[in-house]
Amino acid sequence: MLLSVENLIVKYGNIQALHGISFDVDEGEIVTLIGANGAGKTTSLYSITRLPPPEAPRVISGDIKYKGQSILKTSPDSVVKDLKMALVPEGRHIFGNMTVMENLILATYSREKDADLESEYKRIFKLFPRLEERKDQRSESLSGGEQQMLAVGRALMTGCNFILLDEPSMGLAPVLKYELFRTLKQLNEEGMTILLIEQNASLALHLAHRGYVLDTGEIVAQGSSESLMNDPKVKKAYLGG
Amino acid sequence: MFDDFNLIQNLINALQWGSFYALIALGYTMVYGVLVLINFAHGDVFMVGAYIAFFVASFVLSVLGLPGWAAFIITIPATMILTSMVGVSLERIAYRPLRRKGAHRLYVVITALMCGLILEHANLAIFGASRKAFPPLIEEHVYHLGGVTFTNLKIIVICAAIMSFLTLQWIVTKTKVGMAMRAISYDKFAVPLMGIPIDQIIVTTFILGSGFAGLAGVLFAMSYPILEPYMGALIGWKAFIAAVVGGIGDIRGAFLGGFLLGAVEILVVAFFPSSYRDLIAFSVLLVILSLKPTGLFGIAKTTKI
Ligand SMILES: Nc1ncnc2c1ncn2[C@@H]1O[C@H](COP(=O)(O)OP(=O)(O)OP(=O)(O)O)[C@@H](O)[C@H]1O
Ligand SMILES: [Mg+2]
Repeated sequence: MLLSVENLIVKYGNIQALHGISFDVDEGEIVTLIGANGAGKTTSLYSITRLPPPEAPRVISGDIKYKGQSILKTSPDSVVKDLKMALVPEGRHIFGNMTVMENLILATYSREKDADLESEYKRIFKLFPRLEERKDQRSESLSGGEQQMLAVGRALMTGCNFILLDEPSMGLAPVLKYELFRTLKQLNEEGMTILLIEQNASLALHLAHRGYVLDTGEIVAQGSSESLMNDPKVKKAYLGG
Repeated sequence: MFDDFNLIQNLINALQWGSFYALIALGYTMVYGVLVLINFAHGDVFMVGAYIAFFVASFVLSVLGLPGWAAFIITIPATMILTSMVGVSLERIAYRPLRRKGAHRLYVVITALMCGLILEHANLAIFGASRKAFPPLIEEHVYHLGGVTFTNLKIIVICAAIMSFLTLQWIVTKTKVGMAMRAISYDKFAVPLMGIPIDQIIVTTFILGSGFAGLAGVLFAMSYPILEPYMGALIGWKAFIAAVVGGIGDIRGAFLGGFLLGAVEILVVAFFPSSYRDLIAFSVLLVILSLKPTGLFGIAKTTKI
C-alpha cells in the first residue's frame, strides 16, 4: 500500500473528531472519502498531510504509514518535498496577494534543481488554459472556479505523484465541475494517485475506483465504487434515494 | 528665518537622518509581515549592532593594526552578520517556543518587549554605564557645493539605505524566499503545503531585518560616535512608528515612513527650537495616521490570519 491509515484516533482539544478509522490508498488508485458535514473528512486529510502546530489535529493513537513507514513525525513541508504528496485544501487557500504565475512559481520552492519547470508550466496551462490567460493577474481577482483551478495547478507544480483533494468541486458550476473531474481522470491515467473528498457522492463514486463512507468520525461502509453505489444504505443517505 | 532656509541642504539632512529610521523600520515591517509580531526588541538589536561594530572596529584597528578604510570594509559585513545572528537567536530562544505552543499574540509582544529590556540591561551589566567612543574609520571630508554642505559620510549613509531598499525589494518581489514571505503574510496555513519549511522563511526574515539593523548600527556609530545602552530605545520606537505610518508589512512603506519622519524632524528643527522636534514630529504622524489608519502603503486586508 502506498498510504495506509490505521485505527486513527484524532482530537481537537477535548473534542474527538476521528474514532479509530482505517483506510488505504494504493499506487495509481483513485480513492474517495464521502460523508456529510462534520464527518471528519477534512480532519483525515489534515492528519495525513500534517500541519504545523498548533493548528494540527492531535493524533491520539493509530498510525499513518507511507510505503510502510510511519509519517506521524514527518513535517508538513517534507510530506510535500520528500513524499511527493500534495493537498488541495478545503477553501482553496491560494495566495491572493500574488499573481497566478507567482502562485505557481512558489509551489516549486523545494523542487529538485534539474526539474524541467518550463514544460510543467506548459502542462498546467494546457490543463487550465484560463490560468494562462490570467497569468499576471492578482489571484485574488480570479473567479471562484478559476481559483480552484489555480489551487489544483499549484498542487501539481509541487511535483507530487499523489494528490489529495478536499471538495474541489465546491462552488463550481456544473460544466466546470465535470471539466475538473475529467482533468483528474486524465491525471490518474498519467499515473497520479488520487485521494478525493467530496460531498457530491455520486460524482465522486463515478470517478473513483474505491470509496469509504465516513460518518461522525467512523467508517460505516467501504468497497468498490460500484458496490457502494448499489448499497441501499449509501444510496439512501448520500445518493438521494 | 526663511532667508537662510536651503531646501537642498535640508533635503540631504533629512535623507541622512531618515536613512537610520528607514533601515530600522525595515526589520519591524518584515517581521510583522511574516509573523504579525511587533518585534519590540528590534530597536535594541540596532543598539547591539552599534556595539558589535564598536568591538569589531576596535579589534581590526588595534589588534590587527589595519588602517581605517580596511576596518570600515571589514566592520560593515561582520557587523551585519553578527547582528543577524542576534536576531536569529531571539527568534529561536524567545519567539519560536511560543509559536509552537500557539501562544496568544499579546504574550509574544510582551516577550519581545522583555527581550529588548534584557538586551539593554545585559549590555549595562557587562559593559557598565560608561559611554563608548566609536573610533573614526574613514576620514570625514566636507564638501561645499553652491550653498550646500555635505560630508562623504552622509552620502554613504544615504546610499546604503537606498541600496538596502533596492536589494530587499528585489528579494521580496523576485526570489522564491521573498515570495514565500509574502505568501506567509497572506495565508500562513497554505505555505507548508507548497513544500516550504515555514521556520526557514521566518529565520531568513530575522536575518534580513537584523542584518539591516546592524548596518544602521555601524553607520549610526560612525555618524554619532557615542554609544550607550539605551541608544536603541527611542530611535527604535520612532522607527516602529515610521513603519506603521508607511503601512506596516510593506517594505516601501517602511522606507517612505522612515524618510518622512526624518524630513519632518529636520524641518521642525529648521523652523522651531529643537526641543519642539519630537512633539511636532509625532503630532504630524498622528494626523497622517488618523487620515489613513492603514498607513501610506497599507491596504485594508480582507483575508488575514
Ligand atoms: N479546529 C477545530 N477545532 C475543534 N473542532 C474541530 C476543528 N476542526 C474540525 N473540528 C470538528 O471535527 C469534526 C470533523 O470536522 P471536519 O472538518 O473533518 O469535517 P468534514 O467531514 O470535513 O466536514 P465538511 O464536509 O463540512 O467539510 C467536526 O465535528 C468539527 O466540528
Ligand atoms: Mg471538510
